[in-house]
Amino acid sequence: MGVFTVGEMMSERLLFSHNIPLSEVSTLSMDTQAGTSTTPANTTRTIQAGYTVLVKVPTGEVRSVKLEDDSTVNLGRVGSFNSLKLINQPYGLTYDIVDKKLKAVPPHSIQEVEDTEATNELINDGEFVQPLTSEEIEALKKSGVSASEIIKRQIEQHANYSLKTEYSKEKYKKRKEAKYSKTFTTIDPTLFNICEYWFNKDQNRLRDIRIDTLSQMLNLGGVRPGGRYIVVDDASGIVVAGVLERLSGDGRVITICDVESAPAYPVLTQLNLNKEELASVLSSLNWATADEDYIPLLASNETAREPQNERQKLRASKRKAASDSLINLREELFNGEFDGLLVASEYDLLSIVDKLSPYLAGSGSIVVQSPNAQSLADLQNKMRQQPHYLAPAVTEVWLRRYQVLPGRTHPFMNMSGSGGFLLHAIKVYDDPTAQSAAGRRAKKPRLESAEGSSEPVMGQGVVCAQMSDASNTAPNSSLL
Amino acid sequence: MWSTARTIAANDLVIIWLTRDLVQPLYISPGKEFNSKFGNYRHSDLIGLPYGSKVGSRNGRGFIHVLRPTPELWTMALPHRTQILYLADIAFITSWLDIKSGSRVIEAGTGSGSFTHSTARTVGPKGHLWSYEFHEARCTKAREEFECHGMADIVTLTHRNVCKDGFTVEDTVDAVFLDLPAPWDAVEHAKKALRKDRLTRICCFSPCMEQVLRTVSALNDAGFTDITMYETLIRPQDVTAIPKPQSVASVGERLKQAEKKREEKRQRQIADANNKKRKRGDADSGPPASEGGEGKRVRTESTGAQDRDSVIVAEAAQESTDRAVQPGDADVDTAEETVVVSKTFPEVRGHTSYLTFACLLPASLIARATAVPTEESISVETRATEETNNARTAAPQALEIVAGEDVEMTLSAE
Repeated sequence: MGVFTVGEMMSERLLFSHNIPLSEVSTLSMDTQAGTSTTPANTTRTIQAGYTVLVKVPTGEVRSVKLEDDSTVNLGRVGSFNSLKLINQPYGLTYDIVDKKLKAVPPHSIQEVEDTEATNELINDGEFVQPLTSEEIEALKKSGVSASEIIKRQIEQHANYSLKTEYSKEKYKKRKEAKYSKTFTTIDPTLFNICEYWFNKDQNRLRDIRIDTLSQMLNLGGVRPGGRYIVVDDASGIVVAGVLERLSGDGRVITICDVESAPAYPVLTQLNLNKEELASVLSSLNWATADEDYIPLLASNETAREPQNERQKLRASKRKAASDSLINLREELFNGEFDGLLVASEYDLLSIVDKLSPYLAGSGSIVVQSPNAQSLADLQNKMRQQPHYLAPAVTEVWLRRYQVLPGRTHPFMNMSGSGGFLLHAIKVYDDPTAQSAAGRRAKKPRLESAEGSSEPVMGQGVVCAQMSDASNTAPNSSLL
Repeated sequence: MWSTARTIAANDLVIIWLTRDLVQPLYISPGKEFNSKFGNYRHSDLIGLPYGSKVGSRNGRGFIHVLRPTPELWTMALPHRTQILYLADIAFITSWLDIKSGSRVIEAGTGSGSFTHSTARTVGPKGHLWSYEFHEARCTKAREEFECHGMADIVTLTHRNVCKDGFTVEDTVDAVFLDLPAPWDAVEHAKKALRKDRLTRICCFSPCMEQVLRTVSALNDAGFTDITMYETLIRPQDVTAIPKPQSVASVGERLKQAEKKREEKRQRQIADANNKKRKRGDADSGPPASEGGEGKRVRTESTGAQDRDSVIVAEAAQESTDRAVQPGDADVDTAEETVVVSKTFPEVRGHTSYLTFACLLPASLIARATAVPTEESISVETRATEETNNARTAAPQALEIVAGEDVEMTLSAE
């Protein structure tokens, strides 16, 4: 029985039955229908039954909702509606909920605000200015008065409204609108939007990988259609999601995880990938099966027993398939020549880089993210003592968003404090025979003495060469 | 685009990494030599080597790493024809504009091709990039370069002033990137080029705030929404291993020892002085030369005080190394205990450009969506009452117009 369990787990892990809701299999055909024939990989995206969709409500909050076919979608205070109203609709539209029905409305444009002489000179805090009580407002809402009408009445009754500056009036209206209006917007599930949603929800679960961090990882990792990548993602799958999005089906990703069965990458949910595409691109090993010395326990026991009935035969063939694909997958990893290694992990970073970099092709990219500068400083210090890592460099990411409104453009008062740190290095071959490619093996000792040496090699020379190297490249190292 | 083979072949573009500061492109042409201050190399010797190889020079003056070109390395190595875009901006723009395998993108101007290479890599053979450059010489140079780099299939380069003459495609691209001195002049053209069957995106890249303000207002007038602006930077970290800082207790101990020694010295000097006085008292009529000699000795002694200080420092250093060795086993060769620290470089890039982004939701999409529920309720309701009239007239119009570019104006510009 114990053998059975292992086999079952393995097949689950390999086939990713954990990740993909069954409902998505049925949406597969619809998805392809929706596309235009001209651009196969980047077609018109429409919302399908079974999809998990991000919606923005008037307060600015973004929610993730699963659209089951023909069922009620509840957005709390904003209202509820039938999911069919969203099926086959494009992303990005704004809707009013009226009597559980959806009405598409044009998006907001920025309104010019006229400057007036008004100031807050005569406005005092705590004064009684709003005779319209919350009970009265509740009654208005129940009687079906629209949000804009309620706001209008509030403004009419507001004692000091006319004293306010035009900017302040607009702020007031915006605030009230967010409170009463029953609109929402479907969010285009771009990598940017998905990353922002998860980051705002809980940046710890993403190990501080902000969208700028992720973008740099994908570019530094050299992610391109058709490329092959090894990913270690203990950040809820945000890195895996990023690579999969960029590849859009063309390429290969092997992730190494720390669990026996299929790794749960919750971020992939909003990508609404179809099962086939996912299975052809993404496979996972764990730290045991990714070890070259690992011997699968079931393989040896298997041949001894003859299957008795159909059920057992089926199970046996399933196990065989799982075992075969595990063998193939291990072989694929060990054969190496991957284009990039992307790491965001809670485990010892050097142990990961040392274990997986042998499977990179020469000149392959190594990108490691960490929420802490210390972890990467330590990693860099150790990597630069090994000649097969070229120029490991540590950088911090920085991002500032601005409010852009006519006459009111400035950085937002609050900004994200950290998107973490990145280390980038290039895997190179330090084969000594490679140096004799130019046929001057005799010169080798001179090469290694720091004189005339272009790049720090090892030992004492490393420190001084690298320091001088680093210190006059402050601007330059930011290129990479 | 570039070679994906394991080994270097003739006519490949390779990146020669000499130092972090010295990274340069090289086209492998057998028969030629590569000379640098780190030695000389025959191109033919590089052929057949795996990418990423370290190669020693023929004259023993150094070595190089021969790397596979990537857009990121190309950005470091490329010949600058203009101010170029760097990793942080390129990466961020790529994500915001949702550029990926299969995307169709417009870029203006081409400049030195830093963004072009990165985008061509990301969209791949299933996607396409239309690039426009108004400077003829730069355009010619870029065309040669893109052809050499095998990008001709992915990139269509056009010599054109897009602010005046617009783009060569209509209703086609997913995203537009404008790196122009006056991007607001190209906004309406960009709107024509963006496809009308889905939400599309634009980015304008401008170093000055005044440009941003004009761009924002042009985008708003043209019916773009979700206008946002960002600044992004990379702060390179200087990582060093420094000796483990000692505790103040040991500093205090060292100072106590120093004080003790100084006091002992002082007592010695007093004792010496007393002895001399006694001697002088004994032989009052001694030769003056000897007195001078004594004076000299005192002076030497006072300069000796400085020496004493340096002795203290040396002792302290010794002490600290001793301490470092003590906790470990008796192995004296153990390296001095260090800690690895990281700090931002004293001078870093502080500003590149402001990145202004916006979305365009084609009016035809809104109209189509509105059309579905209107089977039940004929009138089109909008949030703001003053908008209702506009929307009522706009919606039926948009239903008839397929491309429907002009309708967005009616809908979203007040």
